[in-house]
Parts: sequence; C-alpha cells; structure tokens
Amino acid sequence: SMKSKTRLGDGLLVASLENYSPVSKIGVFVKAGSRYETAENLGVTHILRLASNLTTKGASAFRICHGLEAVGASLSVTSSREHMVYSLDCLRDDFDGVTEYLINVTTAPDFRPWELSDLLPRVKIDKAVADQSPQIGVLEKLHEAAYKNALSNSLYCPDHMVGKISVDHLQQFFANNYTSARMALVGLGVSHAALMKVGEQFFSTHTGAAAPGAVYRGGELRVQSGGGLVHALLACEGAAAGSAEANAFSVLQRVLGVGPHVKRGSNITSKLSQGITKATAQPFDVSATAFSATYSDSGLFGVYIISQADSVINAAMAQVIAVAEGRLTADDLTRAKTQLMADYLMSLESSEGLLEELGVQVLSSGTYSSPQTVTQSIDSVTSSDVVKAAKKFVESKKTMSCYGHLANTPFVDEL
Amino acid sequence: MGKTADLIVVQKMTIDTLHKEAATSRLLVGFRKWYYNACGFNKIGLMRDDTINEDSDVKEAIRRLPEQVYNDRMFRVKRALDLSMKQQILPKDQWTKYEEDVHYLEPYLEEVVRERKEKEEWAKK
Repeated sequence: SMKSKTRLGDGLLVASLENYSPVSKIGVFVKAGSRYETAENLGVTHILRLASNLTTKGASAFRICHGLEAVGASLSVTSSREHMVYSLDCLRDDFDGVTEYLINVTTAPDFRPWELSDLLPRVKIDKAVADQSPQIGVLEKLHEAAYKNALSNSLYCPDHMVGKISVDHLQQFFANNYTSARMALVGLGVSHAALMKVGEQFFSTHTGAAAPGAVYRGGELRVQSGGGLVHALLACEGAAAGSAEANAFSVLQRVLGVGPHVKRGSNITSKLSQGITKATAQPFDVSATAFSATYSDSGLFGVYIISQADSVINAAMAQVIAVAEGRLTADDLTRAKTQLMADYLMSLESSEGLLEELGVQVLSSGTYSSPQTVTQSIDSVTSSDVVKAAKKFVESKKTMSCYGHLANTPFVDEL
Repeated sequence: MGKTADLIVVQKMTIDTLHKEAATSRLLVGFRKWYYNACGFNKIGLMRDDTINEDSDVKEAIRRLPEQVYNDRMFRVKRALDLSMKQQILPKDQWTKYEEDVHYLEPYLEEVVRERKEKEEWAKK
C-alpha cells in the first residue's frame, strides 16, 4: 500500500493510502469537537453532528440524499471531544461524482432556520437514548467533574440549550473552527492525485479562533438514579496522546484488565476482575475494567466499576496500589504489551478503524506513524514505567463520577 | 397642424417612448401605481403578498418566514378582516403605499417552487 501526505498552501493536510480496494473511503477530520464549544454555544456540535444532511450552498438536502443513494454511497458524521469526522464511502468509480457533496457539507452549509428547527426532535431522541445508558452518563459526568473547561463540555446538547442554538451560533462556530488549517482530508482506496484535486476545492476564507487548553481540576459528581447497580468511574489525570507516558498508561490498563478476551470466560488475566471477585460474594453483578482516554493535551486514566457492593471500589483500588508498589511480574507485563499490540493492530484491520487512526494522527501530529513504529514504542515500555504510572494514579488528585443506587458508595475522599 | 396631425404626433411619441424606455420607465411606473391603488387591498392595510392564494407551495413558504415577518403578516390580515366585517376602510394616510409594499414572500416562494421542481425532475428519471 502506498502512503502519501501533503500539506496544501492554506494549511489543509491531505493524506491517502492506496490499498487497491474496490471501495473508496474519504474522511474529513476537523478540529471541531465539543471541547471547542464556548459557554454561549454549548451543544452546537451536537446540532452540527445532526445537520450534515441539510441544504448547502451547492446542493439541496434532497439532492445530497438522493445523489448519494443513487450511487450507493454513504455519508456519516461522528464527533468526539476533539474532532468532527465526516466520512464518505463509495465505490471507487463513483468517487468523482460524490466528492462535491462532501465538499459542500464541510465548507458551505446554508443553515436554514426552518431546517434547523426540524432537527429538534432528533436532538431530543439522541438525548433520551443517552439518558437510558448509564455508561454514557457516567463518562460524560466524569469529564464534567474532571476538567474546568474545554474537555468538560458534554457531547450532547445540554437541556437549557435545546431549541436555543440559533443560525448565528452555528455560523460563528463554523467560521471559528472549520478552517483549512484545522482540517485533514484523508482517503483510503483513492489515488493521491485525485484526492489532491478534491483538497484544492477546500479553500476557506475563515480565520479561525484560538482554543483554550484543558485544565484538570479533579472533582466528583454523583447521580442518584435508582436501579440495582452502581456504575462508578474513578480516574486521575493521565497523559496526552502520543507521549511515552500514554503508552505506559495503556499498558497499565491492559495489566489491570479491560474485559474478558474469551466470551463468557472468567477473565482470569484481569487483575481487577480477580481482585474484586474475592472481595464480594456477588460474582455475577460485578465488573471492573481499567479506563483510559487520551486527548491532545491531557488524558484520563482510572477504573470503571459496575457493582452492588460498596467494598468493590476499594478492592479495585487495592489492585492498582499493588501495581504501584511494584508487584508486577514480567509475565504480566509481556502479556499486557502483547494484548495492547494485538488490540491496536486488530483495530487497523477494518477500514473504519484505519481511516480514523490515519485521520486523527495526521490531524494531531501532521504525520502518520506506521503500525511497526507504534508497536515498537509499545514494546519499549518498561516495568518501571508502568509502576510509575500506577503510582501517579494512587497519589494524584482523583475524579469520580457515580451513577445508580448510591446509598453505600464511598466518596472520593473516603477511598 | 390639424387635429389628426396632433393625434399622429402624440401617437408617434407614445409608441417611441414605449419602445425606447426600459420597464422602469416613468410611464410604466405610473401605470403600475394606478393599478395598485385600483386593486384596493392597500385601503385595508394589506400588502400584495398578504393576498396571495394559499396553495401548498405558499403554505410551506409561509411556514419558513422569520418570526417577525410572520407576526406582521398575521397582524395585517387580522386588521383587514376586522375592517371588512365593519365595512370600513383605513384613513388615507394609513393606506399601504406602492413604494412601501415589500414582496416579502417572493424569495421563500421561489425557493419552495425550485425545491418542488427538483423533486419532480428526480422522480421523472
């Protein structure tokens, strides 16, 4: 496979990987995640995420939808706290016809007031579905409690802003964030020359605005929601993406356990899992996995526990403290490193995973590290790195978010 | 010069004017103003777009109006209905003037019709 990367004059990064597949996959990655929302326009990324099929200056909503369907292509939008990703799949031969829709959606949306008010039911459905899921709830609350700004913004529109995001909010957010310098155009199964031609049509006159760095504060948020279980997420500030420390945290995560690798297995290799099953007599309602999230300037690392008993959280903490005190065998370390490398390489097997990895790397660092480089850097993590990471978790100011029946759940300062 | 000659001169002048001047010529504008006042809806405070027959395209265009424009339209219609019931008209200084009549619905209506035509083109294929 051939990899090529160029930076155009206006700052747009164009990268392609020719894998000779009959299907082309093009992604536009924009630094326009929820961290770039301000206090006045909270929720604007949620609306933008839903607004990708609306009328643009070059094509009406009807034409985008029918034009893509006519050739069997699909356009989807995902957004994270840092990035907004527009990805277009089509057959290789139809590539030239469908790129105009992608260009229109990412550079020239019209934001018509009546189309936006028609989006309101979809926002409400999104929020209702998210409310039903304690996993999403506990993750959003963790970020809200952990950071003072930027990364504390939720991926979903807050209640007080539903229906209040106006055309002006959208246009301003668009002008500040959808600039060529903050975008990367990534293609799989396309020739680099064809992708460059598409990239040249991404001229943008917007200037963009500076974004604040995320400030970690370490807090606690608890949501009483009844139910039989408690979902608790306990984290500390981790490392930024791409740093050596981040690799150490990822290996530590695998040492502690991320969930069973064998379906319906007993998860013997997970230290957390083994530790908590000894602590409680309710083996079926209990689960503990290590949690790790990395962003461009910060990260979170911790444990995610689902349980009924209050002793489980302390048991999980005890396992991490054990690693911090150096009780980490060489076998554990090799196993964890191998699992991490296998997970990483397996994620690159699918075209979605590969496109995402390519895009996020190109956008954050301007280059793409080959899988060999990444696996080498994972392999270079030593036992002392992992112990240091565990010590950092034990000693630093922690954040906790809990969801469920919280009568017996300890507070973060009681752990 | 006799009366016939005068008439011929006047006739020739009118025809020349009509041919030479643009649509916004003083003659045509004058005619339009006269016609606008003769229609009579300005006497009960309405604008041209308030009186348009509401078919499905127009209904969709009205749905898309910004809030203030829609509220103004509703006010004018209510006032006109009230006057019509009382068999009255507004005092002359409150009649809508030709220059003040804004065709506010036209851009929205054009867009609705364009979208409908686009859908019909697709359906034909």
